[in-house]
Amino acid sequence: MTTHLTEHEITERVALLPAFPSVVNDILSTLDDDNATLGALTVLVARDPLITARILSIANAAALAGRNPRELRDMQVALSMIGLSRVREIVLGISLAEFSRESRMSNYFWEHSVAVGVAAQELARRAHFPVDYALVGGLLHDIGQLWMARFYPLEFQMVRMAVAAGEEILAAERRYFGLDHCDVGRVLGTFWNLPASVVAAIEHHHDAHPPADKVVSATHVAEAIANALDLSRQDEARVTVLSESACALLGLDWSEDMNYLFGKIEARTRYLCQIFA
Amino acid sequence: MTTSKRLRYLPISEVVAGMVLGAPLTIAEHGVTNFALPAGLTLSDTNIRQIDLRHGEFACIEEDDTRSDAERNAEWAAAAARLDRIFSTADRTRPAVAGLYEAVLAYRKL
Repeated sequence: MTTHLTEHEITERVALLPAFPSVVNDILSTLDDDNATLGALTVLVARDPLITARILSIANAAALAGRNPRELRDMQVALSMIGLSRVREIVLGISLAEFSRESRMSNYFWEHSVAVGVAAQELARRAHFPVDYALVGGLLHDIGQLWMARFYPLEFQMVRMAVAAGEEILAAERRYFGLDHCDVGRVLGTFWNLPASVVAAIEHHHDAHPPADKVVSATHVAEAIANALDLSRQDEARVTVLSESACALLGLDWSEDMNYLFGKIEARTRYLCQIFA
Repeated sequence: MTTSKRLRYLPISEVVAGMVLGAPLTIAEHGVTNFALPAGLTLSDTNIRQIDLRHGEFACIEEDDTRSDAERNAEWAAAAARLDRIFSTADRTRPAVAGLYEAVLAYRKL
């Protein structure tokens, strides 16, 4: 019952998925633009009514906490209250959560994606490189599985059963699809014009020896941490590989006290699953 | 007899007045700390509103560990068994894998 997926079939069927949120690329492109302003972010946010409503809601909750009785309606004031980095995080998370929901993916898939996104973000913060690339790499690392589940639900279920029985996931996917979810994700990320480092993170997050790129390394290690901490509470969660070079690139020394890092990842994952929902 | 303490990391939505900070709580914007509360502080409603206002997301809380030795050991054994299952297909002779395993095991003993 093996299907032999081709890049052509993968990209052809993308049109049947909900539209990928263009705001993701727009926001990532502003990170490299020194002239990007609050005004530019306001324009991006204002294009999407759902995101606009959530940003105003979060800003109003903060205003209420500060006992400011006036309801905020001005987006630029709301954004300045929340702060640029937080707004970027919220917009990226909400838009990708909406994409995942419209694609009818399970809650487990999304919770695992948030866990890996948060872990990658915290690793980026420790290693002093842009956290938004790491967040998007983590949120999208399993996007190939979303495609597989949507268009080949029976084969996808067979893979899940094989993994539950102890088979390694990439081997099981290749057996049923001819490709694995990292291959499918690379095709999707390229088709959506995502930044090269994010596409590489999607493609190589399961590699035993991933390329020496910080976003790739953060996503690879984040996947291991999210599974080790059992953040999605799924029986089939497994740590299979963890690259020494990826850990070294991120400056991780496992003999150090990791309790604060793990606690922060665990608490923020629960918090952001609520915020992005 | 002194009661032992344990640390828990909670999303801010689960933090309530009367809880005690187990680690300093700092909130930074653009790499600059603009809000800080010390470890050992008993949180008030005002503190929690201040954290909300600055979009703090989590706190490390210290609480009394009321478990008996038997309960504590049973919880640790269950956590270790779950961790063994999660790492069942990994090569734990590799330093990074072994390091992550030991670090998570230590975290579960908080």
